[in-house]
Amino acid sequence: MEMIYDLFRHTIQNLAQNGLLPNSLTYTFVINALLCALLIGPTLGAIGTLVVAKRMAFFSSAIGNAALTGIAIGIILGEPVASPYVSLFAFAILFAIFLNFSRNRSGMSHDTLIGVFLAASLAVGSTLMLSVTKKINVHILDNFLFGSIITASSSDITLLVVAVGFAVFIGMKNYNRFLLSGLNPSLAAVRQVPVMKYDYIFVILIALITVASVKIVGAVLVEALLIIPAAAARNISRSLKSFVIWSVLISTVSAVTGILLPMQLELSVPTGGAIIIVATLFFIATLIIRMIRRQ
Amino acid sequence: MNNPTRGPIVTCSNLSMNFGKNRVLDGIDFIANPGELHCIIGPNGGGKSTFIKAILGQMHHDGKIVLDWPSAPGKIGYVPQNIEVDKTVPLTVENFIALCVQDQPAFFGVSKKIKTEIDRILARVNMQSKKKLLFSELSGGERQRVLFAQALIPSPDLLILDEPMNSIDRTGAAIFSELIGELKAQGVTVIWVHHDLAQVREMADQVTCINREIIFHGVPSEVMDEKHLLEIFTAQPVREAL
Repeated sequence: MEMIYDLFRHTIQNLAQNGLLPNSLTYTFVINALLCALLIGPTLGAIGTLVVAKRMAFFSSAIGNAALTGIAIGIILGEPVASPYVSLFAFAILFAIFLNFSRNRSGMSHDTLIGVFLAASLAVGSTLMLSVTKKINVHILDNFLFGSIITASSSDITLLVVAVGFAVFIGMKNYNRFLLSGLNPSLAAVRQVPVMKYDYIFVILIALITVASVKIVGAVLVEALLIIPAAAARNISRSLKSFVIWSVLISTVSAVTGILLPMQLELSVPTGGAIIIVATLFFIATLIIRMIRRQ
Repeated sequence: MNNPTRGPIVTCSNLSMNFGKNRVLDGIDFIANPGELHCIIGPNGGGKSTFIKAILGQMHHDGKIVLDWPSAPGKIGYVPQNIEVDKTVPLTVENFIALCVQDQPAFFGVSKKIKTEIDRILARVNMQSKKKLLFSELSGGERQRVLFAQALIPSPDLLILDEPMNSIDRTGAAIFSELIGELKAQGVTVIWVHHDLAQVREMADQVTCINREIIFHGVPSEVMDEKHLLEIFTAQPVREAL
């Protein structure tokens, strides 16, 4: 894998040195971040259309917060401070499964249940984080909370490649089943879709892609990149095809612009914040288009 | 008739079901035969939809439900009461049908393999000219026609309709009746939860009235007399319907 990354980096660096790409792309860490953006953007954009259509925006927000607790647990258990992935993945996936299990079995209102889980994960995560800050440099936690391009390493990219590959494969193969089971579970079941099984696969998919993106976008904002591009695309789309295409485009452009623009303008802005601000601008623009069309 | 025994014999024996401590179905015995339109009627909250979900294998229950197919298990078509589509999700009629009937992601468009079939069925329910419209732009009756259309792809051997005519217009009702008549003639088993008593009398071969338990069942012209119906419905709608 390293050879492929090197080839990609050298190509980009040569283009930047020859003035064909922005000067900031002469730096390896920026290219790493760009690679991550090109992986995260389209994937979160496409999966986001399902999250929005299945009305699971609040759910993905809870998963994002659960990532905080996962990071803290990983550091407490002695995992590398810059990449506590075992605890991060394990906790987020278990959290997603438990939340979905409770949602299916309790009969409680989804919003109430997710609200409780969201608050609880934030409370546990922030409490553990406080104990962790005594042991490590607090700025490392900032990277996880709000995203950082400096810390994206080759191993982070490899992890993203695997997570994105898995998400694309599962998402493409089961897109119709995921959506239909959200629209009408009885109809989906008649169509041979094991609804409960696909519910679990979908929440695990969200947990996986959320956690894999935490390093770049940040735990606090990662769910926003799942939701905002899809919400913006929804404002201007007249079919499922345009919905997915616009969502992927907005998400990718937001991720790339959010990483490169602060570098070009020499602004001290966290990556996650910049990405989400760009995505929000797209949302506002599409909202205006929608309002004009409705008049 | 192409094949008079295409559908299964659907048999329920002593079917009972509880929601917590509430008994919603109690000792239901039921049989529906191939080539037969069997209507289920009864008051709201009487357990009709629950009964349908039990037949579809989606509810835990006591008692026995058997689908006795003439050969290998065939296709089941299901028309739900309604479908909750977020008004802002850009799902067209064609997208929705594709979502139901193909493996290829619906955002890639309709698969070439079944495009002709989808167009044919949409034409049958008078919705072909509206296939590019969003689901949110359809009237209640048009939505029902789309829901009915998806149940016909692939051609079902057992068709189950869960009160789909709540909001359908006169034209839609005529289309439903015509298509169900054709399916019956092909030997399909049709079970239809229906609230239009006049139409049940006109179309059904058998009728079963459920209000937690079986109130009556048999041939509509024999069992749907005013006395029976007044036992379960209020007088005003029955007189109007009859």
